[in-house]
Amino acid sequence: MDKPKILIVDDDPDLRRALKIRLRANHYDTVQASDGYSAIAVAQKEQPNLIILDLGLPAGDGYVVLKRLRDSDGLSDIPVIVLTARDPHSNEEKTLQAGATAFFQKPADNNELLDVIRTALPNAWPGTALPS
Amino acid sequence: MNNGHTNVLLIEDNPGDADLVRLRLMESDAGVNVSCVNRLADGLASMAKHPPSVVLLDLNLPDSRGSDTFRKVLEQSPGVPIVILSGQDDEKLAMKALHQGVQDYLVKGDITSSHLDRVMRYAIERQALIRSLEMSRQQQLEFKNQFLSHVSHELRTPLTAIHQFVTILLDGLAGEINPEQRYHLGTVLNSVHQLRAMIRDLLEATRAESGKIHIEPRCVTIVDLIQQAVSMMSPTAKEKRVGLEVGLDARIPFVYADADRVLQVLINLIDNGLKFTPAEGSVLVKACLVDADSNMVYVSVSDTGCGISSEARNLIFERLYQDPNSVDNNRSGLGLGLFIAKELVELHGGRIWVASEVGNGTTFSFTLPLYSLAKLLFPVVTDQGRLRDAVALVKLELSPLPGIAQGNWKEVCHHSLDRLRRCVYLDKDLVLPVSGRVGQSENLFVAASTGLEGAEIMMKRIREQFEGAEGFRSAGCVKVSATAVAMPVRDEAKALEALVQTIADQITGMAMAVLAGKPSSQGADGEINAAQNLQRQITTSDIKSN
Repeated sequence: MDKPKILIVDDDPDLRRALKIRLRANHYDTVQASDGYSAIAVAQKEQPNLIILDLGLPAGDGYVVLKRLRDSDGLSDIPVIVLTARDPHSNEEKTLQAGATAFFQKPADNNELLDVIRTALPNAWPGTALPS
Repeated sequence: MNNGHTNVLLIEDNPGDADLVRLRLMESDAGVNVSCVNRLADGLASMAKHPPSVVLLDLNLPDSRGSDTFRKVLEQSPGVPIVILSGQDDEKLAMKALHQGVQDYLVKGDITSSHLDRVMRYAIERQALIRSLEMSRQQQLEFKNQFLSHVSHELRTPLTAIHQFVTILLDGLAGEINPEQRYHLGTVLNSVHQLRAMIRDLLEATRAESGKIHIEPRCVTIVDLIQQAVSMMSPTAKEKRVGLEVGLDARIPFVYADADRVLQVLINLIDNGLKFTPAEGSVLVKACLVDADSNMVYVSVSDTGCGISSEARNLIFERLYQDPNSVDNNRSGLGLGLFIAKELVELHGGRIWVASEVGNGTTFSFTLPLYSLAKLLFPVVTDQGRLRDAVALVKLELSPLPGIAQGNWKEVCHHSLDRLRRCVYLDKDLVLPVSGRVGQSENLFVAASTGLEGAEIMMKRIREQFEGAEGFRSAGCVKVSATAVAMPVRDEAKALEALVQTIADQITGMAMAVLAGKPSSQGADGEINAAQNLQRQITTSDIKSN
């Protein structure tokens, strides 16, 4: 079976690079997008198993992306983990209501993030990605 | 000031005095409109309808006398300038009036037209200045909040990059590192954590100041929270070679508190204790009950550190305060931790204080209210001081669909409480702050302030809310049922509290029975444990408070 594929959506290239290293080390494949518009396009093309989504994005912020994902056939079931520098008090509940699976504020604890990724992935990969 | 005119409202019951003031006003300026009323009630009504530029106020009126008169006007229209016209030259009363917000105090016999004109104009100017000062204060506060929120967001982005790449190096994802490199990177990571804590405190303090922190109290075990906090802090303690111990009263009841927030307070106090205690010292966390205050649990964090001087003790809970004599000068933080702890404890209805002697260690103590189902049930069971006609216990049984990952189901259950709260009237129904888990399924209870008919409507809402939500429907299913709670025969002589207690006991018993009496499909042991656990949680503190 292929490795689970994770789409990283963040406008900060350093963060995308760091997440890519971390996720690959944990046996995930990664693809990337740097704005809201291309996030949807890449999701449609690559059909990832999970999306890590920033909120502050050019060309359609994280909320817009969440809504568009939820409204698109074939993308609406992909679990989305929000990873943002924004304040959880005013964003956590809102993102969960908009359909996100989990909310993390940056900088997030690596192990907690990996745990949530493991449980949020569809059952086809029960416990695939073991920590390196 | 409409149409460039000064609109004067004269509240004066003596016709002679009223005429005299009117005459003085006419002499001085053509741009003055005067309306005159002779009772305070009429004056207040007129001000509510057409706010005047200035009020000239006699203190002794048919329906109000003395300082009451200006107090009532200030209360209704704090922004309108008031000039008192009094028959008596009473300096004490005049000062009192000024301190409360009146602009000026004139003695009727001394008034000349030019004097009155100037006093009125100055009063209006001063009032306008106060208004603009208040407005700019509000703007500053808003600006400060926005600024801090923006800064913390912007600081987090580079901090995240540092955190990510340091952990990548530490975890060996970019190649092997030697022990010395590991040691240095560990120092960087510690600093990242400190910086993250400071950014968090900065925002928390701002939110506390503007009243934006809300707590969600539930029935929680303080013992567990203390143990959790201690295990989170023990690596720091070890590193500093400071002992970290726990001392717990054998039978601590449940408290009614927000677990995350209490954990935050505990970590704050323990962190503080560790910070100011030299190596080989110790920090002790205790929880106990105090006979004299039977509604509270007392929690304390004591250290064997340097102690706090009496001047510093008075200021220690102030925002940004730092003891200049503290031992750990190079890493002292922002001085927000104790301020935030105090705000959080007070939001729970508790209090926090410090006892210390220089050289002899410090003890921070705080209190949290005991959980009492009877107290929480009061609005459910009573209405305006009387028992309601009927109360119902609504039960929700949430079970996962086959094949749902445990973690996902936990997440779904976590959101179910909030979802359930949207189906009830939060001011008169109570989602029991406990849940009973039977195998994989989760039982939630609502004490509803209504009979079975009303409960039917609530159940329909619950079904729609759960089954209509994509997030829930794809993960599990819900069964809802209701039971009527028999209300005690009315006995007006009996205290209402006792009746509510009876009902609380009954609801506890019913919830237990519902859990234990379920057809045994998932193992009787689990059910009995769930029922016992529920009973323990619902009753412990009630027994205690009786």
